[in-house]
Order: sequence, then structure tokens, then C-alpha cells
Amino acid sequence: MSSDILSFIIFLPAIVAFGLMLTTRDVNTIRNIAFLTTTVILALVLKIYIEFIPGEGMQFVTNVPWIETYGINYYVGLDGFSLTILMMIAILIPTSYLLLWEGRTKGYWINMLLVQTGVTGTLLSLDVVLFYFFWEVMLLPVFLMIGSYGFGEKVYTTIKVTVYTMVGSLLMFIAILYLGVAYHAEFGTWSFAYNELMKITTIDYNTKVWLFLGFLAAFAIKIPIFPLHTWIMETYKNAPTGAVFLLSSIMAKLGVYAIVRFMIPIFPEIYIEFSVYFVAIGLFGLVYFGIAALMQDDIKRMFAYSSASHLSFIAAGIFSLNEYGINGALYLIIAHAIATGALFLLIGLIHEETGFKTIKDLGGIAKQAPVLTFIFAIMLFANVGLPGTNGFVSELLIIFGIYEFNHTLGYISATTVVIGASYMLWMFQRAILQDRPEGSPVLKMRDLKIKEMIGLAPWVILVFLMGLYPEIFINKFEPTVTHYLNDILHIGASK
Amino acid sequence: MSEFIYLIPALTVLTGALVLMFMSMYESFTVKNFIVVSCIFLFIAFGFSLSQIGEAYSVQPYNDLLNNVLIFDSFSNFFNILLIAGTILTLLIGEHYFQHREYFKGEFFSILLFALFGMMVLGYSNELVTAYIALEIASFAVYIMVGYNTEDSKRVEAIFKYLVLGSFIGAFYLLGVVLVYGASATTNLSELSVFINSASDDQMILVYIGLTLILFTFLFKIAAFPFQSWVLDVYRGAPMVVTAYMASTFKIAIFSFFLRAFLQDFGLTLDFWDTIISVIIVFTLVFGTWLAVTQKIVKRMLAASSIVHTGYLLLAFIALSYKDGQIVNIESAYATMFYLIAYLLSALGAFGLASHIISETNVRVTYDDFKGLAKERPFLAAMMTIFLFSLAGIPSTIGFIGKFYVFTEAINAGYAGLTVLAVFATIVSVYYYFKLIAVMYFYPTKQECISVEFNDKRVSTYAIAFVAILTVLGGVGSAIVFFIPALNIDQIIILAQTAVQSLFIK
Repeated sequence: MSSDILSFIIFLPAIVAFGLMLTTRDVNTIRNIAFLTTTVILALVLKIYIEFIPGEGMQFVTNVPWIETYGINYYVGLDGFSLTILMMIAILIPTSYLLLWEGRTKGYWINMLLVQTGVTGTLLSLDVVLFYFFWEVMLLPVFLMIGSYGFGEKVYTTIKVTVYTMVGSLLMFIAILYLGVAYHAEFGTWSFAYNELMKITTIDYNTKVWLFLGFLAAFAIKIPIFPLHTWIMETYKNAPTGAVFLLSSIMAKLGVYAIVRFMIPIFPEIYIEFSVYFVAIGLFGLVYFGIAALMQDDIKRMFAYSSASHLSFIAAGIFSLNEYGINGALYLIIAHAIATGALFLLIGLIHEETGFKTIKDLGGIAKQAPVLTFIFAIMLFANVGLPGTNGFVSELLIIFGIYEFNHTLGYISATTVVIGASYMLWMFQRAILQDRPEGSPVLKMRDLKIKEMIGLAPWVILVFLMGLYPEIFINKFEPTVTHYLNDILHIGASK
Repeated sequence: MSEFIYLIPALTVLTGALVLMFMSMYESFTVKNFIVVSCIFLFIAFGFSLSQIGEAYSVQPYNDLLNNVLIFDSFSNFFNILLIAGTILTLLIGEHYFQHREYFKGEFFSILLFALFGMMVLGYSNELVTAYIALEIASFAVYIMVGYNTEDSKRVEAIFKYLVLGSFIGAFYLLGVVLVYGASATTNLSELSVFINSASDDQMILVYIGLTLILFTFLFKIAAFPFQSWVLDVYRGAPMVVTAYMASTFKIAIFSFFLRAFLQDFGLTLDFWDTIISVIIVFTLVFGTWLAVTQKIVKRMLAASSIVHTGYLLLAFIALSYKDGQIVNIESAYATMFYLIAYLLSALGAFGLASHIISETNVRVTYDDFKGLAKERPFLAAMMTIFLFSLAGIPSTIGFIGKFYVFTEAINAGYAGLTVLAVFATIVSVYYYFKLIAVMYFYPTKQECISVEFNDKRVSTYAIAFVAILTVLGGVGSAIVFFIPALNIDQIIILAQTAVQSLFIK
């Protein structure tokens, strides 16, 4: 039974969602049931987290045939990487439920539940076709959410984001099919499991580069890596808070995760060879998006750029080919998800209450909502990477990693982090602390309610816990990173 | 008697058609009676076809009477099941449409069954002229159905265009048969196959020219480039239910004969058309996509997108053979057949649902008219979404699995470039399908499109819901939904394999 626990975690939200679709209860009941579902999942994930043994490879594996004719299996399992991210998702989603104000319709909560199924399924699948299946399924509820509950030119935004992500996904789809066919040609049987695809030896170098880029297209658009980022501005601006939270805090991270899960094992030599370009592109993105964020007036757009900037940094860490960089990137995935998630939710609240979106229209919030300001500040500092917070640990590790990878790039990365601090603190000063100009109407802003504080409390605790005792978290995934470097990339973890 | 059992499905349908014809002489029967009677006959035929499923057999009963022109095997049985199922679903989905249109009289259902009979015989055909006759029985029935309401000028235009072009292309077929006969002195497929295997290059010239002409008819009927020009107007002009029937069921019938011919008998000649069909696929995909993007009327968009699906099907078809005339890649025949099932379900669902909506309101025609459907009719909108997802090949629907097979086999056969193009066509298709979904979900309803008496509780709705469930189950299969005994994807493939293997029973 213990091996079926993952399937239970994946499908429980979807089953509940289908049940809720048929009921005619009021929104509050539905919201409570949805919240209860996610807490049940959190409990199960905690159980897994405790039972998980670091360094033992894939655990809790379920592998049953799905489409036997083509060797496609329902193959799920988790290792150190997936466990960490699973934990993150399981904590973030229920707490975010307490902070979503706009969910006044039934469909909103049903979509939230469906997203959770898609996201968890994507995270845990080890068969590429199954992965693709969930990867697409995860997108559809977000599509509905943006279109139904978004603002402004929401329909245009929806179509744009869908077509963008589909382009990436379908390019990956071709690469997946090609790998499957190559495997069939070499071994005479069909298989799409990632550990089987690793064994392919017959593909020539040029084709491999194309396949690598096909996979990368899907992930780079989702993350997004420069220059495939143009969809995020409108999306983050026009989408409802819940969808923005899911896209930035969770789905973008799955793009990074997928690089680690599939691209490194299947194309190790291409990964090593191209890494220098991707570290450079990542750092360029960090600077580019940082400067763009500095110039934004719309607060949601500023955070969109800020998020893209940090994600570029994560991507740079992933490609740094050593333990520091990869550990740091994984750590930043969590840290960034917590900090950005909280910030997006708080911005959503400010927007909901005041109706203002631009930085210069805001101001004076600190006096009216001290608790909100306090939590906002903590998340901001975590995001900027102040010592003592989780952001500091992860940024430091990535900078070490990049420095070891290439000294010049290391110096650059160390200096560029300042940009993040400047736009964040400047925004904080103008939008929250500073008083409103003379003569302008008084801003009505309520403070956080108890329920919302409870929702945010675990995040605040995590920010400091992860910042002060990183070992307890890193120990869970470090053996996996070592395994990747030693056994898959053959470059040695100690380097 | 044991031989007779193979003839029963086709004969049941023929009897049904005749009974309905006699019934239509009496005024006292209502449209509902006709639907019930046709369904009874169809279900009997369906039952007999189902009873033979799963075993590989190939027989030519009553040899002295039928003279080898018809062949009854698992392959034709497989297609019979699809065709009969398609017809039953068309009838059920269109139930409301038929009842609310004055011009639908009894003989319409008789003609529908004649069309089905023609298609079934086409599946049995083992001879070029028999195939032609069967094709014409089916085609003429469809011509009549297209132009059924002569008071509507769009219908008249549609039937005129279709009839003239269809008959014209039929003449090509006959000329092709004559040329083939001139070279080989036979029109029987089995004998032709023997001839092709032993003929010299000189003798083959005429056969190639003849078969190319026959291929033109095939391309015309499935609406491949450059023979696609009739599709938009005819699909638009025909009654909605007939459009659904043509787009799904009729296309399958055409494929049944040509798949048989090329798998069993003309396999050796297939790489002669390799380049031509490649070019045709490219143009079909590009042109169909372009047409679909530019449409404003939903029915025309669906019609145009069916051209794109023809492109995918041809891609699977061309992947059959790729070197030295040997059919190396027999798996792509399964892929074609699976895609036909997937397309039958999703196209029938999409067209049928559109007809269901139109039949009640009369006003939902363009994209704009579909605004806000999700708020008014959440379940209809949800089902439409499922069908559009399936047509676009989004995972969790049968359309995804269908595309997966077709593309895998195309890459396997070395057509990676064409596959990339097909994937790009898919990307664009996401745009025009999702536009309809966006329109249904994200806008308020237009005032003039609201109809109060819309009644969801009728046979049509249940039939569409049934198709929608099949569409999802076919995509998810039984491995992911552990606890529900679901439609197993492997089972369908095994059936397709049995069907194809029965072709090679000597």
C-alpha cells in the first residue's frame, strides 16, 4: 500500500474536484472541502518526508503498464529532488487557500484542486509520456482561471499564454517521440521511462542537440528564460492572484525541476557542453529582468520581472555543474517559491482592497496595516537575500557554484545580486512606507485577519528555519545531487 | 448457414433501408418512429458485427454466387463496427434536430441506411468495379442528404457543387479502372496483386497511371489538397447532422477500402507515390490550417480543421511503406485505424454538439454567438471543450493518443520533417480550437442568443455525453484510473492488429 500513496496524493484533488462539480453547495462549503483536501495531502506528504531515506534513489515507486503496446507505463516515484519540491507544494497550496480573497465562485476552487493534481503528477512522473500528459493537464485549469477570473484583456492574455506554452510543449513532444523511436530501434522494445531512455547510444551528436533544444523549449518558456519571457508580463498583470501564485511559485519551478529530472540524465554530454552558455544567459536574464523591474510602475509587473530575474538565477545555478550550484538552485527554488508566493498574495490583497496597481498611487500602507507591512518586509528581505533568511543561503551557494564553474561569471553573479536589492527596497519605500502625498484621498487598507496570519505563519517560520539551519533540508536532497554528478555526469561531486 | 452469418450485418442494414422506404409511403408515421425503427435495425447489425470481434478470419462466402468480389474478414468487420456505431450515434445525436425540422421525412432515414449499406460494401470490396458501385451508392445517398432541404439556397449550392465535382472525380476512377484492366486484364484485387508482383516495368506504366487516377478519387473524398475546395461550402450548406456524418463516418469508409487495397494488394507500388503524397500532406496541412484560422463561422472552422485531420491521416498512411516497396512499417496501419476511431469520436461529438445547440436556438453560428455558453449551459460547454481538446490533441483525451501513435509511426518511418510540420499545424490548431473555448467561457452571453425553452434532458444530450465519456476514457485508459474498469487503449490496438492481420490470411 505504501507505494500507492503517491497515486493517492496525485489523484485525490481531482476526484474531490469532480465531486464538487456535481454539488450545488455554496462557495464556503466548497472552499472548506477543498482546503481540507489539501491539508490531508499535506499530512500524507509529511509522512513521506519522514519515511524517506536520503541516498536510496527512487522510492515509493509505482510502475504499472498504461499503454503496453508502446511500453508507456504509469511510472511514479520520488527521490531527493522531487521530495523537496513536493514538500514545498504541499505546504504552499493549503496556506495560500487562506489568503485568496477573490475565490468567490465554485469554479475557482475546482480549478485550484485540478491544478494541484496536474502539478503533483508532473512532479512525480518518471515516464516521459506520462510527464507530458500531466504537464499539459496542469496548464488547462490555469487557462480557465485566467480567462474566467482575470482582469483587463484577459481573453487575449489567455490565448497568448496558452499558445506560447503549447509551442514549447509540442516541440518537447517531438523530441519525446524521437527518443522513443530511437530506443525502439536500438533495443527492439518500446519504452519511455527516463532511466531507460538514458541508455540510448545511437543518436548522433547533431540530432541530440536538436532534441535537447526541443526539451529546453518547453521548460525555458515555462520558467521563463530570456528571451522566451514575453508572455509573463501580460499574464502576471491580468491573471487573478491565485493563477499568478501558481504560475510563479510552483509551475515555473517545475520547469527547472524537469531540466534536472529529464535533460541531465538523458543528455549529460550536451548539458555539460552547453552549460557555459546557459549560465551566461541566466546571468544576463538576472541583470536584464532586474533592470526592467527597476523601471516598472505597475506593481504586479515589477514582481513579474523580479520573479523572472530570480528564476534566471536559478537556471544559472542548475547549469553550473557542481554541487554548490545545483544545491543552491534547488534551495532557491523553495526559498523563492515561499517569498514570491507570499508577496504575490499580499500584493493581491492590496490590490483587492485599494484598487490601485501602480507604485506611485500607493503609499502609507505601513500605518494602516502594520502586521501586513511586517510580513511583507520579511518576505522582501528573504527575496533580496539578507543573511539569516533562506534567500541568503541559496544565493550564496549559487554564487559559490558559479564562481567555481567560472571565476569571471562568479564575480559578475556576486555583483548583480545588488540590483535585486535596489528595486525591491525602493518599491517597498515608495509603496508601503512613505506617506501619501498631501491632498490625495486617504487609502483604505485593512490589516491581516487572524486566519490570514495563521496562513502566513508557516512561511515566515520556514524563511528563518531554512535560513538558519539549512542542513536539515539540504541533507534530504544532497545525496541525490551527488548521485547526479558522480554517476550521471561523471565529473565528481567534490570538484 | 455458417457462411450466411457473415452477410447478416450488411443484409440487415439493407432490409432496414427497404423497410423504412415502405414505411415512408404512409403519412401516419412520425419522425420518431423512423428513428426508432432505424435504430432497431442498426443495433441488430451492430450486435452481429460485435459477435465476430476479436478473432482473425477471412472468408469469401458463396463463391459461385458472389464470384470473389466481396471478402469478409476481421478488417471489414472492424470498420463495419465503426461505421454502424457512427451511424447510430449520428441518429441519436441528431434526434432533436430531425424532429424540429419540417423537411425531414421518412425517406431520409431510408437514404441514411442506404448510405451505410454502400459504405459497408465498400469495406467488403475485393474488386475495383464493386468498390466503385459501393462508393457511388454511398455517395449518391450522401448527395441527397446534403441537399435534402431544397428551399434553402445554401443547400442547393452545396449539393450542386458536391454532385458535379463528385461525379466528375468518379469518372477519373472509372478511367483508372479501365487503364488497370487494359494492362492486367483483371479488376479483382487479389489477381491484380499477383500481376503486380510479376509484371515488368513496361507493363506497370499503365497500372501506375490507372492507380494514380483511382488515388485522385480517394484524395477527393477525404478532402486532401488540391481536391479540398468543395469541403467548406458543402459542409456549411449541408444540414448539421449530415455534416457530422460526412466528416466522421464517410471518411472512415473511404479509408477502409484504400487501406485494404494498399495494405493487401498494392503494397509494392506504394513508394511510387511517396513524394507525391508527401507534397500533398504538406499542402493539406498548410492550406487546411490557413483556412481554419480565417473562419468566423464555427461550422466552417470545424470543416476546415477536418482538412488538417486528413493531413494527419495521410501522414500515417504514407508511413506504411518506406523502402523497396516492402511494407516495413505495418504498425502505422494500426495508428491510422486508431486515429480514425479517435477522429470519429471527437468530430462526431463536436459537429453533433454544434448541431444540438443550433437546433434549439437557431442563432449560434459564428464564434461570437457562442459567447457565454458556459454560463448558460455548463455541461454542454464542458462537453464541447472535451471534443475540442481531443481534436487539438491535448492529453487526457483520445485525440492525444491518436496523435501520439501517428507521429510516433511517422518518425519511425523516417518522416521526421513531415512530423515537425504536422506538429506545427497542431500548434496553430490550438489557437483556433481554444478561441472557441475562450469565447464560450470568458464572455457574457449575447442577449439575442438566449433561449428559454432549451431542454437538455433528451436523447441527443445523453448520446453526446456518452461520446464525451468515451473520448476521455479513450485518452486516460485503465492504468491511470485504477478503480474504474475503463476502455483499455491496448484493447483497441489489439483489435486493430487482429483486423490488419486478417488481411494476410491466405
